[in-house]
Amino acid sequence: MAPGVTSPAIDLSRTGIWLLLGAAVLLAAAGLPEFREAGNLANVVRQSSALGLLAIGQTFVILAGLIDLSVGMAAGLVVVLACALMGGDAAATLPVALAMLALGAGIGAVNGTLANTLRVHPLILTFGMLFVLQGAIFTYTDRSVGRASEPLQTLANGDIAGIPISGLVLVAAAVAAHLVITRTRFGHHLVAVGGHAESARRSGIPVARIRFLAFVISGVFAAAGGLVLAGRLGTGYPLAGSGLELDAIVAVVLGGTALSGGRGSVVRSVAGVLVLAVASNVLNLLEVSAFVQIFVKGVIVIAAILANQPRRAGG
Amino acid sequence: MTPAARARLNRFLAANAIFVVLLVVYLVGVAVSEAFTTPHYLFNVIRQVAPVGIAAVGVTYVMILGGVDLSVGAVISLTAVVCAVQMDGDAANTLPAIAITCAAGLAVGTVNGVLIAYSRVSPFILTLGMAVAVYGLTQIYSGGTARGEVAPGFREVANTRLGGLVPVLAIAFAVLALVGYLVQRTTVFGRQLFLIGSNRETAILAGLPVRRVTIAAYALAGLFGALGGIALLARSGVSSTSAGQGLEFQVLAAVVLGGTTFEGGRGGIAGTVAGVLVLVLAFNLVNIVGLVYHMQLVVMGAIIILASALYGHLQARTGNA
Repeated sequence: MAPGVTSPAIDLSRTGIWLLLGAAVLLAAAGLPEFREAGNLANVVRQSSALGLLAIGQTFVILAGLIDLSVGMAAGLVVVLACALMGGDAAATLPVALAMLALGAGIGAVNGTLANTLRVHPLILTFGMLFVLQGAIFTYTDRSVGRASEPLQTLANGDIAGIPISGLVLVAAAVAAHLVITRTRFGHHLVAVGGHAESARRSGIPVARIRFLAFVISGVFAAAGGLVLAGRLGTGYPLAGSGLELDAIVAVVLGGTALSGGRGSVVRSVAGVLVLAVASNVLNLLEVSAFVQIFVKGVIVIAAILANQPRRAGG
Repeated sequence: MTPAARARLNRFLAANAIFVVLLVVYLVGVAVSEAFTTPHYLFNVIRQVAPVGIAAVGVTYVMILGGVDLSVGAVISLTAVVCAVQMDGDAANTLPAIAITCAAGLAVGTVNGVLIAYSRVSPFILTLGMAVAVYGLTQIYSGGTARGEVAPGFREVANTRLGGLVPVLAIAFAVLALVGYLVQRTTVFGRQLFLIGSNRETAILAGLPVRRVTIAAYALAGLFGALGGIALLARSGVSSTSAGQGLEFQVLAAVVLGGTTFEGGRGGIAGTVAGVLVLVLAFNLVNIVGLVYHMQLVVMGAIIILASALYGHLQARTGNA
């Protein structure tokens, strides 16, 4: 019934996000002098860093043909636990941070194990996990607890030579993730599994292990995002991670990564996060009401999904 | 047991597991608390769950079709506010307000349906986005505060117990569920839902009006969402801008529990109603045994995962036989 969508002359799934980001930045810079101020630009980057880390992890699972809806709550759990465990003590920073990354890996390992053993779509599985984690957070506390240590706050809010440290962390993470996906055996296997799991299995790729690792990576990045978020907020706010999973998925989709798996890039996902951050920053500078901003965000989600449709006809 | 008999048993279990689960949960309830044996308490539980139950009827249609509607919680919030504002504290406004509210729900559902019918996007993500947009609309419409006033008598009537026992709201849920069930079982539309849900390609090749049925199913989900919003307003009597927040997940959990899977093509409203009851009884049990309120979320998450896993397992076994 549906006529095949003719493919555009340029591959919008690859270049679209850069055109969008360029247009957004140029328009904002041309129209709003406040946007151009160095302090504001640094803020946009700082606001992007936590979500950027989540989006990188999400790109791994989506590339593998999976999805992870539990990342927002995993990050939220890390925010609460990290602040509670640190209690503002600088010496506790490193051990707590490592424990939180291990916690993220553990959540990912549970997701991965269940995805491989139960006959449940990852969407549903991680959706259920979202509630389990949310319940865990609120059972632990329903108000802000603890305090992020000084070093963690510096990581999230500090600058080196005017460049936000959290932005440098994000860039480093994106480069590392990009290299893993494009240059390692694991990366190639990941893309192969996402492209066609059955073909990958018949080529001898350990599909279950790849999927398991994809979830673990997503969990670790969610925890890393949670740590940055904890540093930004300074305190363990239990709602800190709410809705971040959707933002992360939208960023990945904006970046042209196919929700069906097998095609995409972490670098473009980070660009997707920047587009969201610029849009939100511009709406704030224009003093658009928070309510209208919510509505606009919903419309952006819908538009991004519609623009990134599976290419194959049918279904 | 012969393989054929085993396959029949598995099919029977897959189709009726939820009723067994309902019975088990109920018996556990009876063992834990005497309250579960009193009709007064049970009817109150049904009254309590009416908004979720009514919305779940509509979502069952889209899920039989192989879709999903996560915007239903936002629709409940929006329509509860719209209804309160339109009533404006005047009994004469009651019926027009209900009509306008239903139209609002239908409108959101139709937009969902058109976007999904004419594209190949993931309904899961699309309706998540729609939930955000509708939540924003609700905030814009209400200015962020609880606006509007319920018509006098509206809440009172809805919560009156007929014969001193059965709340009107519980009856409304039963009637709407019955109507929904009859539409699913006896109409061409109901039959087409299953045909399209079990194999969309084949349905298209067979010349079924796939797009029209898709739009109608999502529109109905919006309409039942609006009716759920009205029920929520009737239950509480006060307007709130985020009353429906998170209810979409209870709806989804109930539908999945009831045997309507995310893959589509199976399940139905009878199972959904049982799923709704299992969920609310489980929540009440969580309260009664003294677990903190937030443990409900953990229970709900576990139920979503385990129920889906169970049905997937049973389906695979019946499929192999």
